[in-house]
Order: sequence, then structure tokens, then C-alpha cells
Amino acid sequence: MIQIYPISESAVTIEFGNAINEALMLRIAGFNQLLKQKPFPGLYDAVPAYTTLTVFFDPLVVIRATALPGKSCYEKVSGYLQQLQGVNNPAPVAQNDIIVIPVYYGGELGPDLEYVADYHQLSVDEVIHIHTSAICKVYMIGFIPGFAYMGGLDDRLETPRKATPRSAVPAGAVGIAGKQTGIYPLQTPGGWQIIGQTPVKLFDASRQIPSLLKAGDRIRFEAVTLSAFQNHKQ
Amino acid sequence: MTITIIKPGLLSTIQDMGRKNYRSQAVPVSGAMDALSAALANKAVGNNDGDAVIEFTQAGAEFFTDSDVLIALSGDGACLNCGNKRLPPDRPVFVPAQTRLSLENNKEGSRAYLAVAGGWDVPQVLGSRSTYITAQIGGLDGRRLAENDKLSHGVNLSPLSQSIVNSLKGDAVNFPNWAIARSLFLSANRKIIRVIPGKEFNWFDADSATHFFSKAFAVGNNSNRMGYHLKGPLMSRTMEGELLSTSVTPGTIQVTNDGSLILLMADCQTTGGYPRIAQVAEVDLPLSAQLKPGDEIYFTELSWKDAERLYLEQQKDLQMLSRAIELRYGF
Repeated sequence: MIQIYPISESAVTIEFGNAINEALMLRIAGFNQLLKQKPFPGLYDAVPAYTTLTVFFDPLVVIRATALPGKSCYEKVSGYLQQLQGVNNPAPVAQNDIIVIPVYYGGELGPDLEYVADYHQLSVDEVIHIHTSAICKVYMIGFIPGFAYMGGLDDRLETPRKATPRSAVPAGAVGIAGKQTGIYPLQTPGGWQIIGQTPVKLFDASRQIPSLLKAGDRIRFEAVTLSAFQNHKQ
Repeated sequence: MTITIIKPGLLSTIQDMGRKNYRSQAVPVSGAMDALSAALANKAVGNNDGDAVIEFTQAGAEFFTDSDVLIALSGDGACLNCGNKRLPPDRPVFVPAQTRLSLENNKEGSRAYLAVAGGWDVPQVLGSRSTYITAQIGGLDGRRLAENDKLSHGVNLSPLSQSIVNSLKGDAVNFPNWAIARSLFLSANRKIIRVIPGKEFNWFDADSATHFFSKAFAVGNNSNRMGYHLKGPLMSRTMEGELLSTSVTPGTIQVTNDGSLILLMADCQTTGGYPRIAQVAEVDLPLSAQLKPGDEIYFTELSWKDAERLYLEQQKDLQMLSRAIELRYGF
């Protein structure tokens, strides 16, 4: 059963379920795709999260939209979302190709790689092998611009956060925190175990679509040499 | 160049109505914390509401006009002075070249907005001129204003702006005898913030709900454009478990794990995992934007229906205000 509720005068959330799972993520991505193909007047953006899609709009445009039945913006928008074909059973999103993220593991760019290996009594090469073997799924983008919440980290690499966060983790840092793996799009303070760095820009405001990743994407990490890392960065 | 910053003050940034189309990429909305005052400053000089303004945080900023400018200051955070002369807020002020202006403290609020005819001319980034410092985007090179920064206004003035300039232009500072009655757009009691109970309001016990709507909450010292910590009675959960991260938006009041409140503001993250006890009504966000550390506020309940109605009514009043200014200049 889906639930629809307002979170502000200009935003309505659709809740599709109550647990993190891949089927729900794909269903939300599918509905988001449908909404993009059939937007209503005044729609700004729709934000997918683990179990929700939140639709942001301009109330001044919505209230004047005679095509949308209802007395209030909330009635108009929630009514539109409800009648949109497939809200109760949206088609799963078409899967894009797997996005390959090149990573230089260890050294100064991955200062916690040895800690992670020791923690699990693995060799550094085994950690890299395990990390590069998984296909990770992007569940949502949040926290800071372009940051992907990903599922799919191998249980063997599950590692607690650092006791004391670093004051500055560089953009591109690849880390592990508990069951999650992720990439820092911007330099920010952070407590993840940093095992490597990617030269790829996860967020670039000069691109038409600034975030490299979006909910529903699949990614795979690939180990590269330091010179390949440096070449890519230039 | 139009102005040169002599002293930037505590935190001065270029803002507009924010970046509304990139939340799905976790880009915060940003924009003027007090969007009402920003819009009124723009209206006073004949601009569109969405033109870029300077948001000053408290007082202390000073600037110098390199050329003639038509400006307006709005918002309770500061007063505009020329030497020892106070310039009135909420109306257009013509300032000739080579004039030094300063912002003086006003204990009523914490933010003030400076509009210039034509809008402050910085490039749009992702559809907005708002500064978002964390990602270093928007505004002037994605950063706060600094000493010796030079800012220009857009060269294409609206016909209304041009008429206002023509009516005031001369060798001295000049302003008309009309002003926008900003107080008409705000509730009389600025310590009462109207909120709508949030999705997780029922996760808290009856005492918490009573306290939420009856006790004072004080704005904490570590409050900024991302959000405010509110000090007051702690909220106790009846529902255990964690909320899975979902959308939040400026005005969302979250309850952290220790039971204290955080009020999210313009630069807040797009998603959050703390339960949402309430949402500040859009029409009272300008009051929230003017709060200073130590200020005490009370929450009072509003329905979604009334919140939406009040917002739409305010927007209608703002459109009528624009029309009234146009009529004054013969448009």
C-alpha cells in the first residue's frame, strides 16, 4: 500500500514501502522515470530515497493549473500522482550499463586500507579483490551534492567508522562505513575508513547533470595504477 | 564596477530564491534565508523577486559605491547608514558614486538583504546565483564576500527600475517618501512560529507533544545557514526504531537521538534520517531566518490546509504590492 503525504506547502512524499530492498529501489526509480515523462505543471524535481519519492513543486503554478482537479495544491498534486498510471505497480526502471569507477587503492590516497585488511585478517590485495568484485547499487543521492548511498558491499569488508572523524576527506575518496561503501564527491569532514581514491568527478556543477550517479544506477570499482590515476585526473 | 566591499562583516553572501531543480542530486536549495525580505528589497528597486541580493548576517559590513546605484535594504538584521545618517529600509535609495555606506546592528533580527537595480551580476550556476559554500558554487566564486571584492549590477534595468532611478537621480543620497510596509507581511508576535505536525509527530509521547507546543525553545550558538539547534525540553520517543533517510526541506524540525530539536534552514541537506516532529509554515520561515542565538521561540499548531492558504494569500499580497509600486511610477 502506498501512502501520500505533504512535507511542506510545496512538497508531497509518496511512500512505497518500509524497508531497504532492491525491488523497492527499482520501483521508485521506475515511478520517477514515469513522472519525468509525464510531469505536471509546476513540478521542480523529484527526490528518490530508500522508500520514498518526494515531489517538489511551485504552489503558484499548481494552484492555477486547471488541468489538475482539486481545491488545494496538495489535492491537485496528490491526485495527479495517484492517477498516474502505475503508481501502485510501476514498471521497473530500465537498467543502465554498469558504471565503472577507477580507484587507486592504498598509499596516501587510501590511508585506512591496511587498517581494514588487518581488521578482517585479510591481505591488502584480498580487500581490493573483494571490493572490486561486487556490483554496488545506488539507492539514493543525499548528504552532500552527488553523494550516493550504495548497497552491495561484501559482508567480509564491513568495518566500523573511525573513532575520530578526519577534519577533511578529499573529493574522490572511497570509503567504508559499517555495511556501506561510498565515494566523497566534495572535500568534507568525515569518519569513513578511506581505502582509496577515484580520479572521477562525482559532482561537477559545470556538467549539465552535475551528479555522476543517480538512484537505480549500478557501479563497479576497478583498481588502477597510480599513473593511470594521475593521467585520468589531468 | 558598482560597489567595493570595505568590510565583509560576519558572513555576507550573494543569494536569490535558491536552486530548486537539483535536490535529487543532493544539491541544497540555498537562497535567501529570509526570502520575504529579499523579495521586498528587490521589489523596492523595481527588480524581479528572484534577482540576486546580498545577504548580510548581523552588522559590521561596509562598502563603497564606485558608480551611482539604486539600492534597497530589507530585513531586521541591520540598518543602513551613510556617515551618521540612517537611510530608511524597505524603499529605494539612490546613492551617488564615491559614497561610503555601513551596516549597523539592529537587535531585532540577524539578517539583512541589499538589492540593487538590475540585480547583483554573478553567473548562474545550476539555475541560481545563490552561494553554496560547501560545494563552492554560485555567488562570487562560490564563497563569502571578502574585503576588496567588487560587485556590479546587471546592465539591463527594468523600465520600472529606470523610472525609479530617474525620479531620484542627483548629486546626493535621495529616497522617496513611500516605503513598503514589511510588518504587514509578518505576524505581530515574532516569537511564535507556526508549525504543522510532521510525519513522525506520533513517535513521541504525550508529554513531549505538550511540551513542544507550550515550552520555550532557545536558538543555540552553533546555528547557521544549514540549521539551528534548539534548546528546550527533550522529546521522548514511544516508537523505537530508525527512520530510513528521506526528504527534508528548509523548515523541517528534526529530533536527534538525544531528544533535542534541529530546525533545518536554507543550506540544509536534502535528505535526513531523524524523525520529523514538525514543519515550520512557509510564511513563518522569514521569522525563523531572523532569529539569533539565545532568542526564545514558541511553536503553535497549524493545519496543512491553513499553511497552504496563508502562503498563497501572502504571494497574492506580494503581487498586489508589485502592482502598487508600478502604478506609482505610471506603469
